[in-house]
Amino acid sequence: MNAESAAGVKKNGTPLQVLVIDDSMFIIKQLSQILTSSGFAIAGSASDGEEGLQKYKELYPRVDLVTLDITMPKMDGVATLEKIMEFDDKANVIMVTALGRQDLVKKALLTGARNYIVKPLDRRKVLERVEMVVRAMRNCI
Amino acid sequence: MRVEYINPFVEASFYVLKEVLGTELRRGKLCMREAAKPRLGVTSRVGLSGDVSGWVLIDMSRETALAVASAMNEEKLPDFDELAQATIGELTNMITANAVTRLHAAGFNFDLTPPFLFYGAYKGGKRISINDEALIIPIEMPMGTVEINVAVREKE
Repeated sequence: MNAESAAGVKKNGTPLQVLVIDDSMFIIKQLSQILTSSGFAIAGSASDGEEGLQKYKELYPRVDLVTLDITMPKMDGVATLEKIMEFDDKANVIMVTALGRQDLVKKALLTGARNYIVKPLDRRKVLERVEMVVRAMRNCI
Repeated sequence: MRVEYINPFVEASFYVLKEVLGTELRRGKLCMREAAKPRLGVTSRVGLSGDVSGWVLIDMSRETALAVASAMNEEKLPDFDELAQATIGELTNMITANAVTRLHAAGFNFDLTPPFLFYGAYKGGKRISINDEALIIPIEMPMGTVEINVAVREKE
């Protein structure tokens, strides 16, 4: 990996920090591998929406990006997104979904999610979506 | 069970398994059983709601489940541990959600619950048998056979 050009590296050479919220340990592992291979660092992970919201608040403002599963126990992804946006309306959240309910993806995008990733995860497609969000973040600074 | 429900599940099973395993698959003969009953040892279940109530069970032997989980993780997992279980649960979630997406496109309103995995102590399937007629989709892969049980009942 060329750290200078990697999507997950800031101009000062430090990695963008990602919080991964997903009830599947498999998806957390897969996303972490894909993201770290492109220079991102995993700031933390959570296995449900309540824990994810708590972690976001604990880590704030050191989280640059959140990946958030839509279907989760306790508090689903859209409800978690609403709470995160209430706390930080500049949060950069990317939804992760196996689809099923496309209306929930639309609702998440209207609530403030920056983009979404579809499972099964394809490394190239994941990085494409994440890099789109990172480019938009950089343009906003 | 309505015929229109069958193809989305068959297509979703093939699409997702092929995508995550990157291997050749062969569909066995579709059949109906009186109940969705786990038979092979490791079973993951997702609930369906909306226009219907029902369940999808994904059933395979422990050896097949471990081989599938290893392939999906791109590393040989030594045992059917927490990661392997999460991987099979996620596989079920992806197949069911993909089918539900196809059903939405066809005008049906289905929703789904997070996956739940059963194995070991639930041998014989007594604890999770579903007494609704089920469509069985057997899929043969190099690492063994997986049986997808789809039991869907329209709400009255």
